[in-house]
Amino acid sequence: MKRLWTLMSMVLLMSLVLSACATPVAAPPAPAGETAGGEASASAGEVKDFTTWYQYDENNEDPASDERVGNQYLRDTIPAFNEAFAGKWNWVNQPKAWDRMAAELVAAVQAGGDVPDLFEMGSGQVTQFYRNGTMQDVKEWASAQPWFADLDPSAIAACTGPDGGLYCVPVAERPHLVYVWKDRFPEGFPTTPDEMLAEGERLKGEDLYAMTFFGSTDFDGEGATRGVWMTISSFGGTYDDGAGNMLLNTPENVAAVEFLRTMVQSGYVPEIAFAGGFQEENAFKDASAGAFPTGLFGYRYVNPLTAPNGNEYTKGNEEDMLDAITAGDVILSTFVAPEGQTPGCEVAVAGFGIPVGATNPEAAFDYINWIMSPEQNVTWVLTAGGGYPALLTTREMDAFQTPFYQQAGKVLSASACRPWAGSMERPQEAQPLIMDAVYKLIKEDPTADIATTLQAAQDEYNAGN
Amino acid sequence: MPSVSRKRWNSWLVNGALILICLIALLPVATTVLISFKGERDIIRKPPNFFPCDTPTRAFDPTACRWAIEGYQRVLALKPADDGLLPFALTGNIVRVYIPNSLLYATTTALLVVFLAGMSGYAFSRYRFRGRNLLLVGILAITGVPLLTNLLALYQMGVVLRKAQLPFYDDRMFLVSVYMGFFLPLSVWIAKGFFDAIPRELEEAALIDGCSPFGSLLRISMPLALPGLMAVFLLTFVNVWNEFIAGYLLVAKNEFKPAMFGIYEFLGQNIINLQVVAAACILIALPIVVIFVFARRSFFSAMIEGAVKG
Amino acid sequence: MLPFWLILPTVAVLFTIQVYPALYTVWLSLQTREPQGWRFVGMDNFRRLSGMGVFGESIGHTIVFLVGYVSLTLVIGFFIALLLNRKLRFSGLYVTLLFIPWIIADIIVGIVFRLLVMPDYGLLSGILQNPALFPPNGLSVLTAVPPASWVGNFPFPPAPAMVYLIMAASWRALPFITLLLLAAMQTVPTEVVESSRIDGANGWQIVRRIMIPLMLPTLVVAIFSLTLSGMNGVGMVFSLTGGGPGSSTEVLSYMLYTLGWRQLEFGRAAALALLIAAVNWILIFATLRVTRVEERNN
Repeated sequence: MKRLWTLMSMVLLMSLVLSACATPVAAPPAPAGETAGGEASASAGEVKDFTTWYQYDENNEDPASDERVGNQYLRDTIPAFNEAFAGKWNWVNQPKAWDRMAAELVAAVQAGGDVPDLFEMGSGQVTQFYRNGTMQDVKEWASAQPWFADLDPSAIAACTGPDGGLYCVPVAERPHLVYVWKDRFPEGFPTTPDEMLAEGERLKGEDLYAMTFFGSTDFDGEGATRGVWMTISSFGGTYDDGAGNMLLNTPENVAAVEFLRTMVQSGYVPEIAFAGGFQEENAFKDASAGAFPTGLFGYRYVNPLTAPNGNEYTKGNEEDMLDAITAGDVILSTFVAPEGQTPGCEVAVAGFGIPVGATNPEAAFDYINWIMSPEQNVTWVLTAGGGYPALLTTREMDAFQTPFYQQAGKVLSASACRPWAGSMERPQEAQPLIMDAVYKLIKEDPTADIATTLQAAQDEYNAGN
Repeated sequence: MPSVSRKRWNSWLVNGALILICLIALLPVATTVLISFKGERDIIRKPPNFFPCDTPTRAFDPTACRWAIEGYQRVLALKPADDGLLPFALTGNIVRVYIPNSLLYATTTALLVVFLAGMSGYAFSRYRFRGRNLLLVGILAITGVPLLTNLLALYQMGVVLRKAQLPFYDDRMFLVSVYMGFFLPLSVWIAKGFFDAIPRELEEAALIDGCSPFGSLLRISMPLALPGLMAVFLLTFVNVWNEFIAGYLLVAKNEFKPAMFGIYEFLGQNIINLQVVAAACILIALPIVVIFVFARRSFFSAMIEGAVKG
Repeated sequence: MLPFWLILPTVAVLFTIQVYPALYTVWLSLQTREPQGWRFVGMDNFRRLSGMGVFGESIGHTIVFLVGYVSLTLVIGFFIALLLNRKLRFSGLYVTLLFIPWIIADIIVGIVFRLLVMPDYGLLSGILQNPALFPPNGLSVLTAVPPASWVGNFPFPPAPAMVYLIMAASWRALPFITLLLLAAMQTVPTEVVESSRIDGANGWQIVRRIMIPLMLPTLVVAIFSLTLSGMNGVGMVFSLTGGGPGSSTEVLSYMLYTLGWRQLEFGRAAALALLIAAVNWILIFATLRVTRVEERNN
């Protein structure tokens, strides 16, 4: 009994001490904001908070964190912004988990909870946000801005909701393409599915794999937007019928799934492609897989690298992949497509949305205008956003004339990229349905009838229309 | 004396089996400790090596072990600091924010639950009133509602409360009340069980001696029920500490998030850095394991009480 | 009036935190979300729920999981309790060590078990993925597909990941069940055991004819409480398999999480929650009946 009491008082004491030390340190944004605000308010009245939700965390200084590039961006840019808007705005960022922030925002808006003034979003979320009434239509404001005419029209289209409203301001375009270890394909990366299968057989003989891709059903079927969509769209297929219905059971889709099934069942794809958690990248890092279809921005996550010829890129950061491309070990390519088809891919736009119920939308407007200034635009696209600038004049700048961007440019002009969700209004429901079906067909049950399984998924989705 | 030697042989056998079972039971824990002390170089090896102690010539060389603490370094994120008592500061979110938060939530919730469950457990044990059985069963039935969807209503409730701008209100208070609601039902039953075990005669004697009913509750029953209430406290403390989904879905501000959320954050940002994830797991589980080792008897009694009655 | 005031705070807290949200769930199960707000759809959510392919699969997986989890935990727990049910010098130490798994959060247990079988890098993967030991290609627990099912679409035999999930869940539940069974075992009168031993009964006969009948109420309680925890625990699936590979470890509780908080289909999630709640209530009232009957017998 005595021991219990000692223990209990210990616990109490510990928690008191810890929470006492924690309070001043635990909430650094608040005191920091107060001091900054205090100084500024002496000169220029009221400084208001500008709240953002990013998937990055400026307080995470771990140099090995997967999101170090974005974390560093915020660390550098928050002071710069606060300086540029001294006396007016004080930028407060709330870091959010990338795979959960959209759901959290929808719930927050529905409940009338705390929403940010600015939300870092992808165009893939536009219909979901539209359907839930989450985002403000900023078309009127945006089209009056000087930079609007300079935006890539397809980027604007990607941010446009079913009612014609603009639900995000595009800043970077993130197309998908194929990263290829050049030496794994001495004859060049194949252009047709049949050549790909032949290369797969050859590489299998060397205990290697032709390709790794996001093959798991992890992250609510995220894979449906990546390698699987690249295959489907390269075969001329789509996920929708253009009128809001899911359309999976088409000859093109069946052929595309058949191709993926052969790749997987013949052992041309490593097992780790199905492990989830982005572990499929590992097979590309050590060059055991020759090709990796993924997003252009994926370069920053795939490191360190070991090339087939033994070259090592071991900085352990986003420069490894760029170095490998400059050295010619990695090349960028289009995906394989049957005769007469243009290789396809996913294109998503990264940008900003202003949620319904935002406290200071003017701060978000100021921020977006600031990001659209040439210098900030380049920085954002290169670090936080990844991909291509949506502003056409920014594309002309030196930062986008590197071997990486030049190659990517060539690849993309040879592909027909389009958003995977098409006209479907419930992409977050479609995604797991599609990926579950494809996963079953290519991996779990190689004897299942492709058309029947695709049809079942399609029917299930359309039942909710 | 064949029977004696057989008995001894039997006892050796039983002890041996139990030692083996203990080892197996602790194996996952031990390997996590092992992983947490490896360096990145030894983590991303194919095929993996159990101990980071191999050399090009020998499979295991105890002098060549490459034990590393980088996992802990990255979780704690030690930084030199000029101010404060210590020459360094722990800047990792887990130790700086999440663990103190969890301590706060767990202690506050457990104290409140002990208080409420003690009162109502006493009432259920000592008084026969109309609706008593119905209430008892109802309290138990509540635990059958899956928490996951209740969280939506609770989320909205939290938003309304925040908007009302009540004085002294903050999100942490709301989370504590949610945890209270989660862990009260079982605690009421456990507390009732402990009170049932205290002989009524003692209280009656106190009443005769001129104590008020409340006075007898305070002076006689409470001290006798203390071990039981202590058990309720500890069980609730551990339950709150280990709770994940409510803390994960209900808390919007990062500086209010509890320790289990910290683990999730590390999973998301360190996909193949197993040593960091392992180190974070150990740091978060350690306080609970220490408490348990010190107070295991209390846990056992609460568990038996809770299981048999509920 | 004293009992009223003593109970009032508890009832007030429970009403706000548990009863009101439960009623809200009932309301929600009849609604669907549209851009303008909630719309009443009657039983539509239940209809669409039953039309979901993953719903049927989840029921199968839940049954397989529960049967495996309950029986594995019960059998091993009984065995350990038998070993502990005697005078041992170190029994305190054994119990303490054995108990550590129970005290660790389910989400952490999931992560720990996941680390062990991470493809290529996990320490167990080094053994399991060895083709010489597990022909032809080695066994990668987190990605291996389930074997062809024996009966229709019922997911039996289960995928390796499901077996592993059951093992992890049992590992964590074992201490609790062991303790529960040990407590019941200690109430079995030693004279009865001794006398039947003198009558020539062997160990197994004693267990089957004397211990199990006398411990029956506790065994039933153990089964129900395991089923309840297995039915509703989501943390371990969340951190160990995430429902994968494919959907081979997708159980009802995890489906409830993804449907509600990932796909934000709150209406359908509420419908599913009510179905799960119905099963829970049956289990809870069955447990109550068993303990009541036992109390009356005593």
